[in-house]
Amino acid sequence: MSKLVKIQGLEKSFGKVQALKNVSFDVGPGEVVGFIGPNGAGKSTTIRILLGIIKRDAGSAEIFGKDVWRDSFEIHKRISYVPGDVSLWGSLTGGEIIDLFMKLHGSGNREKRDYLIERFELDPRKKSKGYSKGNRQKVGLIAALAVESDLYIFDEPTSGLDPLMEQVFQEEVEKIKKEDKSILLSSHILSEVERLADRVVIIRQGEIVESGNLDELRHLTRSRVVLETEGDVSKMLEVNGVHDFIQRENQGIFSADHEHLNDILIEASRLKVKKFEVAPPTLEDLFMRHYQG
Amino acid sequence: MKEKFARWHILLLQYFKRDWKKIFIWILALGLFSAGFIPAFEEMAKGDGLIGMYETLRNPAMVSIVGPTPIKEASKYTLGAMYSHEMLLFSGLFAMIISILHVIGHTRKEEDLGLTELVRSFQVGRQANSLAVIVETIFINLILALFIGVIMISFSADGITTLGAFLFGFAIAIAGIIGAAIGILMAQIMPISSAATGSSLGIMGLLYLIRGGTDISNIKLSMLNPLGWVYLTYPFTENNWLTIIFGLIFSLVIMILALSLEGRRDMGAGYLPERQGRANAKKTLLSIPGLFIKLNKGTIISWLIAFPVLGAAYGAIYGDMETFLESNEMMKQMFTYSGISIEESFTSTIIMVMVLLVAILPIAIVNKLFSEERNLNLSQIHGTKVRRSQLYWTNIFLAGLVSIIGLGLAVGGLGGAALSVMKSTTMNIVDFLVAGYNLLPSILFFIGLAGLVLGWIPNLRKILYIYLSYSFFVNYFAGILNLPKIVINTSPISWLPKMPIESFKFKNFAIITIVSIGLTLLGYWGYKRRDMVEGA
Ligand SMILES: Nc1ncnc2c1ncn2[C@@H]1O[C@H](COP(=O)(O)OP(=O)(O)O)[C@@H](O)[C@H]1O
Ligand SMILES: [Mg+2]
Repeated sequence: MSKLVKIQGLEKSFGKVQALKNVSFDVGPGEVVGFIGPNGAGKSTTIRILLGIIKRDAGSAEIFGKDVWRDSFEIHKRISYVPGDVSLWGSLTGGEIIDLFMKLHGSGNREKRDYLIERFELDPRKKSKGYSKGNRQKVGLIAALAVESDLYIFDEPTSGLDPLMEQVFQEEVEKIKKEDKSILLSSHILSEVERLADRVVIIRQGEIVESGNLDELRHLTRSRVVLETEGDVSKMLEVNGVHDFIQRENQGIFSADHEHLNDILIEASRLKVKKFEVAPPTLEDLFMRHYQG
Repeated sequence: MKEKFARWHILLLQYFKRDWKKIFIWILALGLFSAGFIPAFEEMAKGDGLIGMYETLRNPAMVSIVGPTPIKEASKYTLGAMYSHEMLLFSGLFAMIISILHVIGHTRKEEDLGLTELVRSFQVGRQANSLAVIVETIFINLILALFIGVIMISFSADGITTLGAFLFGFAIAIAGIIGAAIGILMAQIMPISSAATGSSLGIMGLLYLIRGGTDISNIKLSMLNPLGWVYLTYPFTENNWLTIIFGLIFSLVIMILALSLEGRRDMGAGYLPERQGRANAKKTLLSIPGLFIKLNKGTIISWLIAFPVLGAAYGAIYGDMETFLESNEMMKQMFTYSGISIEESFTSTIIMVMVLLVAILPIAIVNKLFSEERNLNLSQIHGTKVRRSQLYWTNIFLAGLVSIIGLGLAVGGLGGAALSVMKSTTMNIVDFLVAGYNLLPSILFFIGLAGLVLGWIPNLRKILYIYLSYSFFVNYFAGILNLPKIVINTSPISWLPKMPIESFKFKNFAIITIVSIGLTLLGYWGYKRRDMVEGA
């Protein structure tokens, strides 16, 4: 089998709003794909089409080689999905809802369920109306991770989770990744998927603007550098790969091309470094670069 | 002490600004409901209406529902006496419910949502919010009292005295204030806001039931009941202001108790521990039908209790039916047809009312599926091997099933009570049941419409209730208003014979049933192919 998910020229409008203009990408077997874009870019819309929750206007979308709208029943036997905003029935407890989701999915594993509840530190006896957003998210994640699937689709899975739990989530996803499962992971924060994703697909205003593995995309990104030196920091201006240079006394603030990092470091060390801070590229930086050409 | 409530008056002003639209609607709607029916009652009182009403409402079954009157003989039963007898308790209950919801909504609920923390980070006292909300609610109820008094007087009807009108208003206000007190107390005791609301409404329901008993058995005991203090004011007859004072003192004590409990508890916590739920689901929950039965359980059970009770309440009237109908020309036109026994013609109209009442429940169940969809509760389920057909048909069948059960309970309650109070009659319980189930297709028709709306225009689902109310209006008033046939036929009830005064028509029964099933199929077709509405 070639691709698990295959999307070609997907379009979708809600009234006058064109949410998806032309979306194409795929997910291969055993691949983890990060689906990145700012809020309102069309990530959830794409994912809902993949699940047969809404119907596409044009284009094609297949999972396991089957049409996502027509054959959704067949497809759903072998996928796990956690929506971006997990909303639960207030009168049921977390434990009850997890059991229900697992049962409706069909291939649950009790021990894995109990293990995950402990791992995520969820109180399964609490009525879900008392849960915070993070706890509701945990319920969705536990139910999805405790069943056997070939493809896992997570829509902004870590929104609302505290950093510790985000860590747990990443570790658990790494485990299923090792089992050669495929994963589609959406997020509006680049660094969230960096650790897990083999490849990222970047969407903006309903269009895919970039896709490739992260290293390939590095050329598009520049890190933000704050440098303080004993010598004259303005010398950095002449170094290849330094952009948008601003000087404040002995401090220079600039963006650095990754392929020129070495030259930059050599020049900086000549000036005697007192302080060197690097901030990783943000999604916004990436877009800036993309649109600057 | 003082700093706990620091700057509460600033919050109070803030809240009046924030809530003014709500307050306006609250006072207008409740005020008009409480005071606005005087012209209708004047109409009812014409002729021997007052005497007939007096006889009807004296029936213990009616007293336990609407409350007592101090009047001992029919000739002294004035318009004012009748009005406060029928309207005061219910208006008071509404005032209480709204106040409970308002107080808990702006105290405990905001606390649970974390909004209070935000407010507290400004320079206000720890308990300033609670005090401000209490004062706001008391103030709203006082304005309501004055508003009600003024409206009542404005009709310048016979027997509606100024003193009585304002007492009537203040009695409703005191109900609201007692509600606010109970609400703020429960907000401290209960572990979360929904439990506070539930228990407050529960206490109110319990007080209502207890007074239903003591009003009949020993009315002095009703004097110990906070809800009793509302109608035992007896406006327009005894004009007893004393119980208002009781209510004020009671509310004040409860509010002080609540505030002192609040001072001693942590934010977001209650005095009662949160009840532990199940760590694992019961087998019965683990399917789509299991889930939807569970989600609708509360609604279904409360309606299935309400149906026979309401049926029995109507049934109790049969004993005094002659007097009741003879007394008033309007009632007579509504309920009687020439050449037919009075109980049979009365039955045919009442059963129509019961059927439309029963139809509310299945519509609510079908609409529930859409609110689940829109609340995003079904998102994750759409990712499992649950088909849309399962969601749709589960709810349609559940709606059909509760209609059949509910109709039997409602008509059974009606017939049972009617037969037990009538001295001699030719009717038996089977006549009632047959007359009820004769109209089942009209309920199925409403389910069909609900399915159609769910499949094609779910955002307009409220029109189902509008159509239901419209049907009620058309059939109920068909007799008095001399509505033309074409208008009468816009209600599905009219497509079936009026049993027991007309005879059963199998053809109509079958055709409407089949049409209804057709509508649900059409609805399914739309449901299967439309986008799920999620959050939009
Ligand atoms: N049901 C809907 N009705 C109308 N507009 C919608 C609906 N769902 C999404 N949109 C619009 O489509 C665009 C993409 O939304 P979405 O896919 O939710 O973005 P993301 O998940 O990337 O934040 C947004 O402009 C959003 O407002
Ligand atoms: Mg989204």
